[in-house]
Amino acid sequence: MSEFLLQNCWLIPLYGFIGALLSLPWSLGLIRTTGPRPAAYLNLLMTGLGFIHGSIAFTAIWFEQVQPRELVLDWLQVADLDLSLAIEISPVSLGALEVVTGITLLAQVYALGYMEKDWSLARFYGLMGFFEAALGGIAISDNLLLSYGLLEMLTLSTYLLVGFWYAQPLVVTAARDAFLTKRVGDILLLMGIVALSSYGAGLTFSDLASWAETSPISPTIAALLGLALIAGPTGKCAQFPLNLWLDEAMEGPNPAGILRNSIVVSAGAYVLIKLQPVFTLSPVSSVALIAIGSVTAIGASFMALAQIDIKRALSHSTSVYLGLVFIAVGLGHVDIAFLLLFSHSFAKALLFMSIGSIILNTSCQNITEMGGLWSRMPATTTAFVVGSAGLVALMPMGMFWTLQRWLNGSWEISWWLLGVLLFVNTLCAMNLTRVFRLVFLGPPQPKTRRSPEVPWPMALPMVTLTIVTLLVPSVPQSWPFWLSLTPPLELTNALDIELGIPLLIASGVFGLVLGATIDLRRADARPTQTFLRFWQDLFAYDFYIAKVYDVTVVWAVSTISKITSWIDRFIVDGLVNLVGWATIFGGNVLKYNVSGQSQFYILTILLAVSLLLLWSGITGQWSAVISNWLSSANY
Amino acid sequence: MLSALIWLPLLGALAIGLLPGKTEANRFRSIALVVASIVLVVNLLLIFQFDPNSAQMQFVENLPWIEWLGLNYHLGIDGLSFPLVFLNSLLTLIAIFATNKNIERSRLYYSMLLLLSAGAVGAFLAQDLLLFFLFYEVEIIPLYFLIAIWGGKRRAYAAMKFLLYTALSGILVLASFLGVVWLSGDSNFDYESLRGLGLPVATQLLLLAPLLVGLFIKIPIFPFHTWLPDAHVEASTPISVLLAGVLLKLGTYGLLRFGVGLFPEGWAAIAPWMATLAAISALYGASCAIAQKDMKKVVAYSSIAHMAYILIAAAALTPLSLIAAVLQMISHGLISALLFLVVGVVYKKTGTRDVDSLTGLLNPERGLPITGSIMILGVMASCGIPGMVGFIAEFLVFRSTFPIFPIQTLLCLVGTGLTAVYFLLVVNRVFFGRLTEKLERLPQVKWSERAPAFVLTALIIAFGIQPNWMVRWSEAQTTSLATIDGQILSQNSQKLEISELKNNFTQNISTPQIISTEMSQRY
Repeated sequence: MSEFLLQNCWLIPLYGFIGALLSLPWSLGLIRTTGPRPAAYLNLLMTGLGFIHGSIAFTAIWFEQVQPRELVLDWLQVADLDLSLAIEISPVSLGALEVVTGITLLAQVYALGYMEKDWSLARFYGLMGFFEAALGGIAISDNLLLSYGLLEMLTLSTYLLVGFWYAQPLVVTAARDAFLTKRVGDILLLMGIVALSSYGAGLTFSDLASWAETSPISPTIAALLGLALIAGPTGKCAQFPLNLWLDEAMEGPNPAGILRNSIVVSAGAYVLIKLQPVFTLSPVSSVALIAIGSVTAIGASFMALAQIDIKRALSHSTSVYLGLVFIAVGLGHVDIAFLLLFSHSFAKALLFMSIGSIILNTSCQNITEMGGLWSRMPATTTAFVVGSAGLVALMPMGMFWTLQRWLNGSWEISWWLLGVLLFVNTLCAMNLTRVFRLVFLGPPQPKTRRSPEVPWPMALPMVTLTIVTLLVPSVPQSWPFWLSLTPPLELTNALDIELGIPLLIASGVFGLVLGATIDLRRADARPTQTFLRFWQDLFAYDFYIAKVYDVTVVWAVSTISKITSWIDRFIVDGLVNLVGWATIFGGNVLKYNVSGQSQFYILTILLAVSLLLLWSGITGQWSAVISNWLSSANY
Repeated sequence: MLSALIWLPLLGALAIGLLPGKTEANRFRSIALVVASIVLVVNLLLIFQFDPNSAQMQFVENLPWIEWLGLNYHLGIDGLSFPLVFLNSLLTLIAIFATNKNIERSRLYYSMLLLLSAGAVGAFLAQDLLLFFLFYEVEIIPLYFLIAIWGGKRRAYAAMKFLLYTALSGILVLASFLGVVWLSGDSNFDYESLRGLGLPVATQLLLLAPLLVGLFIKIPIFPFHTWLPDAHVEASTPISVLLAGVLLKLGTYGLLRFGVGLFPEGWAAIAPWMATLAAISALYGASCAIAQKDMKKVVAYSSIAHMAYILIAAAALTPLSLIAAVLQMISHGLISALLFLVVGVVYKKTGTRDVDSLTGLLNPERGLPITGSIMILGVMASCGIPGMVGFIAEFLVFRSTFPIFPIQTLLCLVGTGLTAVYFLLVVNRVFFGRLTEKLERLPQVKWSERAPAFVLTALIIAFGIQPNWMVRWSEAQTTSLATIDGQILSQNSQKLEISELKNNFTQNISTPQIISTEMSQRY
């Protein structure tokens, strides 16, 4: 039985897809009498089935030590091109699939409560099913082309989910930006795939790894190729310079936000991890990865500090941790990258469930208008605390153990990396403490006065995920190596190794203290000093990146398109019209010549003949004519 | 069998035209529907009898017609024309179905529509250059009337522009065909006998030039494109569907059949130039589309951009790139037809196609939610989102051309990226947002109005998931077209080292003569 389920584990992503199809009659409005709920239940049922199937398959491969294997589907053979799609059945891929289905299941139950009053619940569930299918597919895909396809489906469903409440103006721009930003990355990724495939690399990840070892291409091309392949995940993981969409996407419904901030961004990083062998081809790739990751981690940490929208305050921190993943991949520390993704996903999903409850209860996202919720919403408060603890390397929770594994001497650590980690940890701790104080502590404000704990469809997944998050540390503790079987290094006495963990804890404490002592600003309080205002605005408006894009890329594209369109209308088409007009005008003018007077015709003939004679005279044709006459006269 | 495909619609047109008495409009519509359905059934029968593994002409019919001129009634079908013939009969049926039931002068309209279909299918089937030319010209006449009579406000201008452009295109094609026969000293226009003549490359280039310009007008490729946006904007929805879906394909079909088929060496010699032109055309069409305010114009310019991919694929001249060109033809035919249909529904219900005055149409109660969903799907297919036919076609195009024209291919990929920009702007403006008061009382969309769009959607998704269903028909034929005596024609066949290729690339583009001398030495 378990063998059968294992062999058919490629079906698991399809469960979500079938769920999406089943909810079509409701989302299209064909069935109205029942209300949209049955669609939600059907989707839940399918996701639940997928979760059970996945769990059985996962336990089979985990405990019974079944050999990892690959399923190959011959998708398309054409001319000399072979496009086969491959599915990987291994503990890692099935584990990732299990995380995906698990978090999706919880988020879908959660949505039952959160989206209760929404009239297009069925459409929402359909999109979630689609989302789940794409995510699950990426987890088990062993082929770059398949992963690309699924990433694109993810782009599409992100667009539709962010644009779910499409009547709001902010949502419209958010959905557009989400799609276009990701699309920029995707197109570059597609260029990379086209190039890889042309250079003779097979597109399964194992083929790519063995191809990369032989290193058949020149350094320039390898560098360009690496950059193209990095671009896709950069968009997906909301890394600088393609980071803005995630922040804006917070306009979408929160249950989708739970997924987006935990496993959707991870999907991009997951593909990045699998592509890591290709990045070894060129040092440029790893430098780019580290640069992108560090800039994002540091910049987004600052941005998060100045946000007053509760969702945005946390979404920037998603970019931060994915930035750390980029650094890890750039350094070749893929196992750590996996652990980071794993720990971050659960903690962040839990945090978003918690703030979703707050938003539903208070109908407000502005943290400066909140306060005193801890006694009113104990489960939500617990979830927030546990999620924060899982994210900050202070308490012995997920992120602490992950970073501990990074710094414990198995990997080569440089001082700058330690610096980035300490910095990120401090600011993250500070930000979460700040949010916690504003939302949960202090006196209740008008919007938070009447807020009971959330109903069970939301409380149940939240509490479940709280427990799971508490269990997460066991993974980095017991299985620090996912891809490498043995620790790459065994350093024990280096200074940075000895100091790393104490410094990490110190940074967490420092951040906590900073967050606990800074002066909290409520809605009515803006700093009066221009200096402070400048920094607050700089961070709050994301370093004005959006404005910079407006005046550069967006301006350039729209100007070029206007110029091209102008050329098209007035030069290309204008020339055509001119030819047509000249023809008609010429005809109209010449028609006056047809007057019927023979004198006029004779005058025309005379004029023409004399012009002809004149022309021959000027160009010296006459002499030829005359000599011709003379020669004929001789006969 | 093949004659039936041509003569059935012709007879149908004749019957509609000659039916005595003042019959109500619906009678003509049902006759046209029945005829188009029969043609589609004949096509389906062909599917079962067609042998996809053969690179030969099948179901050949050869009757001498005007012998002293060398004109034969020679029909045949192969993997190149088969998908297009099928597309034609499908879209004809859809166009008739999508026509407004109360259309004025329906007798003339339906007979013209059938005549158009017959002309197009005849051109795809003709195995004689002169016969191809005849059908190529025949199809212009009904289309001119269809635009000039049932078009929009500036229909006279658009129709005349279309007529002049395509007539010029026809003359150039004819000039090239005549040149082939005279210069080769052959006595008839038969396609097979004119293939593989091994004309000198200089002669080939001389003959190829008018043919290319003629066909570029038809496709259309920048800078010969300006008739297309006008024609699309003024034509009614069903005509736009046929124009984008089938008639533009006559140009690309001509490229593959005659450009590649008759002048392979000359073709290979100027291929880099064509690839560059294709890249320019793709980017030009895309950036023009961004600035447009009329939904139909956006789709029309996107059509220009997407047709350019076929040119670059044809220019690469490898077995893979030619099959990619065929797939891109099918994909563009289905997707642009779908987009025009949906824009047509929006226009019919709201009375405008102006992006600025439409908003919030996705509203589930009073808007056009299902139409909007199909539009989003079509737009995504056009952007090349996997799971739909647009992706696999474009991927194969880029994958096949990249080793040969890397820079042009990357530019085309940028064009694909821009597709998302202009279509998303349209969708966001028109379908997202809040429904304005003006648009609140939209008439309901009937299921019969949606049905054609559903059929196309189903095909787009089915072929996207299972591209084998398209590939298998054409692969044998395109492979044989790209090779002569088992040798791949493309001057930079993929055996070249990639690094070497990178270096060669800049030289190739500036000095096509060198290649041409190499080619002529080989023969």
